[in-house]
Amino acid sequence: MTNEAAFAGRLMSNYADILSELSEATPFFRRYARALGAGVGLVVADGLVHSALQGLGARLRAREVTPSDREMARIEAYKAITSLAAHKYQVASAPGPRHPPIVHGLAALDFTDRAVLLLVSLEGFGYAAAADIAGISRETLFLRLQRARAALENWSANSSGVVQVGAARSSAHLRVIK
Amino acid sequence: MTTPPTGFLEESDLHAFVDGILDPDQRRRVEEHLAQNPEDAALVESWRRQNASIRAVYEPILREIPAPSLRSAAAQVSAPSGAIESGATHWGRPGVLPRVRRREDILAQQRRQAIFASVLAVLAVAAVAALATFIFAGRSEHRSMTATSAPQGYVARAGLTYATYVSDQHPVEIDASRLEELSTWLKARVGFYKVPDLSQQGMRLIGGRVAPGVAAPAGFLIYERADGGRIGLYFERSVATITQQASKSGSGVTAIEWRTADFAFVLIGPLSLDLMQLAAEKAAAQIIGASKPQ
Repeated sequence: MTNEAAFAGRLMSNYADILSELSEATPFFRRYARALGAGVGLVVADGLVHSALQGLGARLRAREVTPSDREMARIEAYKAITSLAAHKYQVASAPGPRHPPIVHGLAALDFTDRAVLLLVSLEGFGYAAAADIAGISRETLFLRLQRARAALENWSANSSGVVQVGAARSSAHLRVIK
Repeated sequence: MTTPPTGFLEESDLHAFVDGILDPDQRRRVEEHLAQNPEDAALVESWRRQNASIRAVYEPILREIPAPSLRSAAAQVSAPSGAIESGATHWGRPGVLPRVRRREDILAQQRRQAIFASVLAVLAVAAVAALATFIFAGRSEHRSMTATSAPQGYVARAGLTYATYVSDQHPVEIDASRLEELSTWLKARVGFYKVPDLSQQGMRLIGGRVAPGVAAPAGFLIYERADGGRIGLYFERSVATITQQASKSGSGVTAIEWRTADFAFVLIGPLSLDLMQLAAEKAAAQIIGASKPQ
């Protein structure tokens, strides 16, 4: 086997591996898309995931993106979903009375704040990966995470009438606490 | 951002603590801090509650089974979304995201699909009912058929079952190669498990299934002849108020009904009355002689 053939074989193997990862991670993509929509329906969220994955597949075949491993492929998929959702969910419907309170709280957040909070809290990404997906620096990610949590607490306090302990002291800048 | 002196904590450490991305030493330092600072401990606890609330709402989605087309979406080549300018043949446009449909479009399409599916279902039910009526009621009887009149006798029910399943490529749920499993299943669901061997009549058993009966679940065995003709043996626990019908033929299908102490049997197929009578007698002899209904 020539070097070129071996290289082509590795590429094909890597591509198949990436497609397999994307297929296996589909339930997680659906969950993220649904949470990111904060009240959007199943069909809309699944349609978004489908469009994002199809677009990513085309970019993979065109070598516009070349994830080195399965984890990077997963991150690329989250990037595609987040990017598409930023446009599509602008016209998404607000959550209705049947949705739990936390969904209403998420819907009230700024889109990127919501994405950051979900990537970290729900999808379990570290700060570096979540910043990469959201297309922001790590410092900005932390500020947005802090802002999202504070806003969610304030929203919870306002909607329930209960004053949350940490709500008043949350701020949008880093501070030394000890 | 300035680096704080060693031993100091930042609020970012509290977030990192909640998000589980601290190393053991940092984690221990934060735990010690929280033990001495109830206000920060309450703050951390409120963030944890937020995380738990979010997970509680969205975690069940992981247990849903995604559509196969969604699982393979990355491998699908999307059609170009606009006009092709060059005139050359394009097999998809790498890098171009397909047009995102608006919510109203999706809802309108769902409504159209639901209406279409409903019309299809109504037509399918009407077609099956009409076929059964045509076969067993006969053109001369001129009985009125209303939307609520379901077949009441075992022959009519057997005819409906035959018309529904027999033309399928795979009309049975358990095939003859799993005869023991089929018998066990029929015994559990219908109460009767003897499967007559009609190979001497040129009828090879394909398998069987459970079908809706007149008053209880019914069993339906399907045999096939060398010429491709299929014969069905319908059986159901009998009810005395349903009267037995004489053998009848119509539209090339013959049905023969007989009873045992507990069960009603109908042999139905596209054979002459003589051949069907002979096959029915063989089946009845095996049923009575070899096994007693449960």
